[in-house]
Amino acid sequence: MSAETVDSGTGPAPRKGVSILFGLTLLGLLLFLWLLLGLATNSFWTPNNISNLLRQGAMTAILAVGQTFVIITAGIDLSVGAVVGFTSVIVAWLLAAGVPLWIAIILTLAFGVLIGGFHAFGIVRMGLPPFIITLATLTSLRGIGLLITNGSTISITNEAFTNFSRADFLGVPSLFWMVIVVAIPAYVFLHLSRFGRYLFAVGSNSEAARLSGVNVHRTIYLAYILSSTCAAFVGLLLASRIGIGNATQAEGWELQAIASSVIGGTSLFGAVGSVHGPLLGAFILATINNGANLLNVNSFWQRIITGVLIIVIVYFDQLRRRGAR
Amino acid sequence: MPGLDEVSDIKSGGLKTAARHPVPKGEPILEMRALQKKYGAVEALKPASITFLSGEIHAIVGENGAGKSTLIKLLTGVIRRTSGEVYWCGKSVQLDNPHEAIARGINAVHQEVVLCPHLSVAANMFLGDEINSAGLMRKRAMTEAAQSVLDDLGFNLPAAAALGSLTIGQQQLVATARAAMRGTQFLIFDEPTAYLTRQESAQLFRLIRRLQGEGVTIVYISHRMEEVFELADRVSVLRDGTHVGTRKIGETNDAELITLMINRTIEQIYHKEHFPAGEVIVETRGLSGPGFEDVSLNVRAGEIVGLYGLIGAGRSEFALGLYGRHASTAGEVYWQERKVNIANERTAMDLGIALAPESRRDQGLCLNLPIGLNINLPVFGRLTRGLTINRQKEIENADRQIRDLKIKTPSRRVLVSAMSGGNQQKIVIGKWLSHGAKLFIFDEPTVGVDVGTKAEIYRLFARLLEKGAGIILISSYLPEVYELSDRLHVFRRGRLVASHDYRAASHEEVLTQAIGV
Repeated sequence: MSAETVDSGTGPAPRKGVSILFGLTLLGLLLFLWLLLGLATNSFWTPNNISNLLRQGAMTAILAVGQTFVIITAGIDLSVGAVVGFTSVIVAWLLAAGVPLWIAIILTLAFGVLIGGFHAFGIVRMGLPPFIITLATLTSLRGIGLLITNGSTISITNEAFTNFSRADFLGVPSLFWMVIVVAIPAYVFLHLSRFGRYLFAVGSNSEAARLSGVNVHRTIYLAYILSSTCAAFVGLLLASRIGIGNATQAEGWELQAIASSVIGGTSLFGAVGSVHGPLLGAFILATINNGANLLNVNSFWQRIITGVLIIVIVYFDQLRRRGAR
Repeated sequence: MPGLDEVSDIKSGGLKTAARHPVPKGEPILEMRALQKKYGAVEALKPASITFLSGEIHAIVGENGAGKSTLIKLLTGVIRRTSGEVYWCGKSVQLDNPHEAIARGINAVHQEVVLCPHLSVAANMFLGDEINSAGLMRKRAMTEAAQSVLDDLGFNLPAAAALGSLTIGQQQLVATARAAMRGTQFLIFDEPTAYLTRQESAQLFRLIRRLQGEGVTIVYISHRMEEVFELADRVSVLRDGTHVGTRKIGETNDAELITLMINRTIEQIYHKEHFPAGEVIVETRGLSGPGFEDVSLNVRAGEIVGLYGLIGAGRSEFALGLYGRHASTAGEVYWQERKVNIANERTAMDLGIALAPESRRDQGLCLNLPIGLNINLPVFGRLTRGLTINRQKEIENADRQIRDLKIKTPSRRVLVSAMSGGNQQKIVIGKWLSHGAKLFIFDEPTVGVDVGTKAEIYRLFARLLEKGAGIILISSYLPEVYELSDRLHVFRRGRLVASHDYRAASHEEVLTQAIGV
């Protein structure tokens, strides 16, 4: 079928061969891009640039994983970019107020949980379409963030916090380690636990899921809370990286996240998706931007190339799916 | 109808090529000769030969699943026939797509209105056939023309209003007017009064007679005997996909028609074993909810309780209510003599109720997910150890159901959408067998299922009863509930109107109670 992983169980991986093939195709595309850029430029395969690339891709990758949970339930979360900006303000504000670092981190993540809970509340209780409720928070959260900062930025003086994003561990940027920290539990959740199965079932046919005893409302809460919490986590990483809290940061990242997820084989109609797909998708996008910079391609062209690539990759995925049926 | 002619003149659509009144009144206009439709091995319509005479109102009656809708689809070009011929005005025609049917003047008005609720009445009436000038739609001209048609037909309806703001009955009238505008020679009504009020029905009947007066041939499909006798000139009866007879309305009566509608031969497939009835598993007292009212019945271990009625009689709604899908508004439920409040589906499942719902597609299955996931969906809680699902148990459970139920699939990973109706139904059942229950509710378990699988499902019922379970069987197919039920309850308009012991009442009696003649 597509990029769902899973394997021997009864999880949504009907055609193991094809699924792995698609994963490999994406990986192959990524490696091909790397090889090409290595040949075309002298600076691509330098430790500095690779570290940079991994940092660039890391945040989108984490957002894309959270986004994927939501899209699998046939929903969408447009707010993640705004949540990143908003939570960067929150953590900067808390640190400026003298709150201990670990409490600031926990509180910031708790904001992510709250925002996701609010989205699910709007969808489940108020009957709003996911597109609308998350669009509304997209704009409102930026507004609240700007109110808090009075339109400016809050500097972060906590060095332990700001050094984190610049640090390496075993030669790999700590930001990339954070991808792994998110991806492994996400994989266990989506592909190995029953809640993951419920996400797929709700995305496929929520009425059938409900009549089979699946708590559909709880599943939707779970999906949106995970997405917003991932976004809040990225907000922490971003604040650490740029050393400030600013509500206008991460503009358009929700689209990057959705694009990564879709490139990674997630179906916007729901019930199709994986954890590794969006990760690869995010790093493919990051590589394109990185490579374009190295090749001195006009940044306007970068946007066009990204758009074309999204169409091409998803089109081939569709073709493959139709062929597999 | 001058209004209609004017409209036809205004429009220049290419479809209305049919000349008016090509055949004198009383001569055959459409002739089916051994028309047959097979879906795979299932014969939905056995070779049928019916002749429709120009200008007559020809009723078609039959039970659910008798082949009426197959017949409509064949005549309107929605599906292709397997064999046989259709003669239109004396010439053999293909009728293999809807455009051809419409171009020849064959149209249908469906029970459920298939129009665009957000567009205006006028826009709907001209949909696909808009009045244009210089590439722009002439909205005002269309509204005026539509209004004149509606006025002319005596409908008090505003052409500019959004279709969705009208009642279902009014929408039905718009759909009829739409068909009438298109140079229709042959108009099929598929149970048009199902959702209409008495007054709306009367209005529709006037319209039908008027169309007949203008030479249009009407095919009228209905469950309601009184309507057939009020409207029709002739009536044809279908039973199990077979055309069993055509009568002039003056030469028959409702008793004869009902007898014709029912299959009297008891097929061998109804495998019935009797078990001594045990304790009462569930009892409802005056249970009411959305779509059903004041239902009191009980189910004992070892017995099948059948619920019969026409579609929309409230049986499925009762089942969903009992299962906790909708909150009940009045009445009580006793589970093994203990009063319970079934607030949601999980509560019902935990008590021991399983529901194989009416619609596999909408309620039963996650079609674009694998078979295995569907089968395990109710039991993932049980298959989980710690944080993760026990992969081994998950595989075993899915494979066991696939094996036990003889689901024909190469693997549990195949998507449900790739399976046939019979196999899909087995997957729904497998889901509940793996969960286990005391009370199984099967809602239309054999719709779209081949005969072999039907027999397997009935044998499975016996196996469940033997283990001490009770079954509620909901079916619109009378022979099925009649032959299998230890007790049979008849529903009509949301209420339980009659109850019979095993084979205590005749088919005629049951059907009469369901229809409410």
